Amino acid sequence: MRIERHPILTFRRGRRVKFFFNGREVEAREGETIAMALYAAGIRDLSKSQKFHRPRGLFCAIGKCSSCLLTVDGIPNVRTCIIPVKEGMRVEASEGNPRLADNVPPPKKFMEPETHRTDLLVIGGGPAGLQAAIHAADMGARVTVLDEAPMLGGQLVKQTHKFFGKRQLHAGVRGIKIAEMLIEEVRRRGIEIFSRTSAVGLFPSGEEKVVDAVEAERYLHRFTARAVLVATGAMERYLPFPGADLPGVYGAGAVQTLMNTYGILPGERVLIVGAGNVGLILAYQLMQAGVKVPAVVEALPRVGGYFVHAAKIRRQGVPILTRHTIVRAAGSGRVEQATVAELDERWSVIEGTEKTYDVDVVALSVGLRPSVELLQQAGCSMRFVRELAGLVPLRDRNMQTTVEGIYVAGDASGIEEATTAMLEGTIAGISAGFYLGHGDEKWQERLERARAELEEFRDGPIGREVKKGIERVLI
Amino acid sequence: MKERVVIVGGGIMGLATAYHLARLGAENVTVLERRFAGYGATFRTGTGIRESFGDETNIWMMRESIKMWKALEEELGHPTEYRQTGYMFLLHTEEEMESFRRNVSLQNSLSVPSRIISPEEAKEIVPPLNIEDVLGAAYNPEDGKANPFLVLQGYKKASLKMGVKIHEYSPVEGIVERGGKRVVKTPRGEFEADILINAAGGWSKLIDRMVAVPSHVEPYKHQAIKTEALERGQINPMVVSFKHGGAYLTQDIADGGVIGGVALAEGPTFDMNPTLEYAIEVSRHFTWLIPALKYVHIVRQWAGFYATTPDKNPVIGEVAPGYYIISGFSGHGFMMSPMATKSLAELIVEGGTSAPLDFYDPHRFERGEFREAAIQMG
Repeated sequence: MRIERHPILTFRRGRRVKFFFNGREVEAREGETIAMALYAAGIRDLSKSQKFHRPRGLFCAIGKCSSCLLTVDGIPNVRTCIIPVKEGMRVEASEGNPRLADNVPPPKKFMEPETHRTDLLVIGGGPAGLQAAIHAADMGARVTVLDEAPMLGGQLVKQTHKFFGKRQLHAGVRGIKIAEMLIEEVRRRGIEIFSRTSAVGLFPSGEEKVVDAVEAERYLHRFTARAVLVATGAMERYLPFPGADLPGVYGAGAVQTLMNTYGILPGERVLIVGAGNVGLILAYQLMQAGVKVPAVVEALPRVGGYFVHAAKIRRQGVPILTRHTIVRAAGSGRVEQATVAELDERWSVIEGTEKTYDVDVVALSVGLRPSVELLQQAGCSMRFVRELAGLVPLRDRNMQTTVEGIYVAGDASGIEEATTAMLEGTIAGISAGFYLGHGDEKWQERLERARAELEEFRDGPIGREVKKGIERVLI
Repeated sequence: MKERVVIVGGGIMGLATAYHLARLGAENVTVLERRFAGYGATFRTGTGIRESFGDETNIWMMRESIKMWKALEEELGHPTEYRQTGYMFLLHTEEEMESFRRNVSLQNSLSVPSRIISPEEAKEIVPPLNIEDVLGAAYNPEDGKANPFLVLQGYKKASLKMGVKIHEYSPVEGIVERGGKRVVKTPRGEFEADILINAAGGWSKLIDRMVAVPSHVEPYKHQAIKTEALERGQINPMVVSFKHGGAYLTQDIADGGVIGGVALAEGPTFDMNPTLEYAIEVSRHFTWLIPALKYVHIVRQWAGFYATTPDKNPVIGEVAPGYYIISGFSGHGFMMSPMATKSLAELIVEGGTSAPLDFYDPHRFERGEFREAAIQMG
């Protein structure tokens, strides 16, 4: 179901198009991705698992997992959450692994990759990547931005809440608004943008870096750049429990994507697991969209997110059950119920404390992990750092990795938030500008200022943990 | 046998040699591996196992190896996913037809049941195959493939059970002579060796250098790819086409993904980075041979070394008193490992073997003897 009225968001929907899912006609609105359009049409069960034929639905909705893979116009294993629908498209759930057709004609001509040259190639058009692109472009560098999603902005495009902090760091502005501002800035500078384009390989070869990318799962591009910024963000963590693979158990970010980016109701009643900022904000956003939230459960003895967010949802009557976890999700073919229980000091379930809720969605906001595959593949030195939530690249104060000319910023360098991502992006962008031979004293000052702002922003208790982590990867 | 045997290299050659030595009664066998067992060429192989060679000795070695492959799962008490799914050499020119007719007739004389088949038969065996420019194919149903990860684990487990010591993350840093014995130095301590075996694959020359003998094995970087999982049983044999980039490809037993590569090597080098050029070459040739692959994603690409000798045949045997080598397989070590390692173990423990190891004499190059190059893929 599509959301018709929302207190904050207005959804500009494209014209009606028709496509086919397993032979059945489905109506979509232009601009929606395949998985989103299917969801809007009430289809949550996308395919069956290979071995046990269990129903499979969405999980991350931003192209980072394999939960929504379907065959699209004969191409198997397409990430349908990021590929837009087209009139007449044929989408199929393959039974078992895909089969090779016997009578496909051999290609008449082999399509060579399209080649491009740029100074700074930014991989990931989220808050970190866009800030870097803007700054490096202002210094005089030629900048190109790649992003897997159909639109720029990264995860800002689903943040309807107002940001905290200082005014010059966009405090009081909603994430969606910040995304619009950044995108506008990028466009104004004529920065080259490739959306729906996934970088699949990063090859440092001396002074030059080669990045290979696939557009729309079909066309190969080869970018040669002098510097590369990897700002690929993060992916959501999963939580195993009985029934965790039922359609209806989604990452919190996926629920936000459905609701805030595409204006599609994720469900009627949503249980949220995890009371960090993402879980708390999601609870509030769900209520804004008219969805009921019977509870937020949190395994820790305290709420992890900001007090104001927690207070806001408590005021609306949503209980936050600390020292609780989900023990199972149940339902036939999709989530119909979820059971939670209290935990003792040793994280074991206390018998007799189970509570069962009738819900059709369980949103997991149990943390993120950095998306570092490209950095690892390029040969950057990596280290596992708990405070940064996973494997991250070593970097210097300029956000340069151990491979000269390869920079990192945002969640890919360690999980934090959009504000720190923007500051890191600024630092990486200016540093890359200098590396490319641009900039003067004024830019040096700008760089120092961004560093100071970042330092100041990290002064809270969460920031202190992050700083401890960064100590371990600073070179 | 009481002698202390130290084997350098924990790949298929090192571990299978250790296994056979222990089976023949060697009581003191140690394997040193610089990373984890299998890290070198074993875990990077294209998985093919064939007796379709063009010369008598390699055909004999592989025929005997295939007998051992068939029994290996039971022998090791460990799955190997060994299957006789065949090899199919696509022939595109009259010259190729002629040369493979000769190979087939030699193979038949050694009781290998290979035969020349028509393009239509080839398509029957591999339904998604493009036979547009195929004149025929040389097909041997006895050839096959196995899972290198499982096989290596099997050898490792069986060797450990017989008392072989395996030290992983123990790079050899030097070899010195002390009191007439070789002493192998690693960060984990020193190992005295009455018998030292170089099974270091692509890194063999480094060990030869430490022992101060000439080396004839050079590391050449080859690559391979694996696609996403596909319905199994559509490309059973290893399909080979020398005309189309030297491509070889087959479906994996476990998940049906296509594994294979093309002939695009670099070297000698110790660089192991995969390249996009390779992925493009693979795509170009694979989509010609199996056009439906144009819809399929490559999910993994990796590089590894062919430990290559001047005549593409291995060096197996004693190099200097107490110093042996089993290396230089030039791309067909995994397949030949059963007979190669067993015969070396026999040579060491029993002083002789029924296998024609003279052919693989490590000193042949110094005498200016070169074998006819073994058929090589990739």
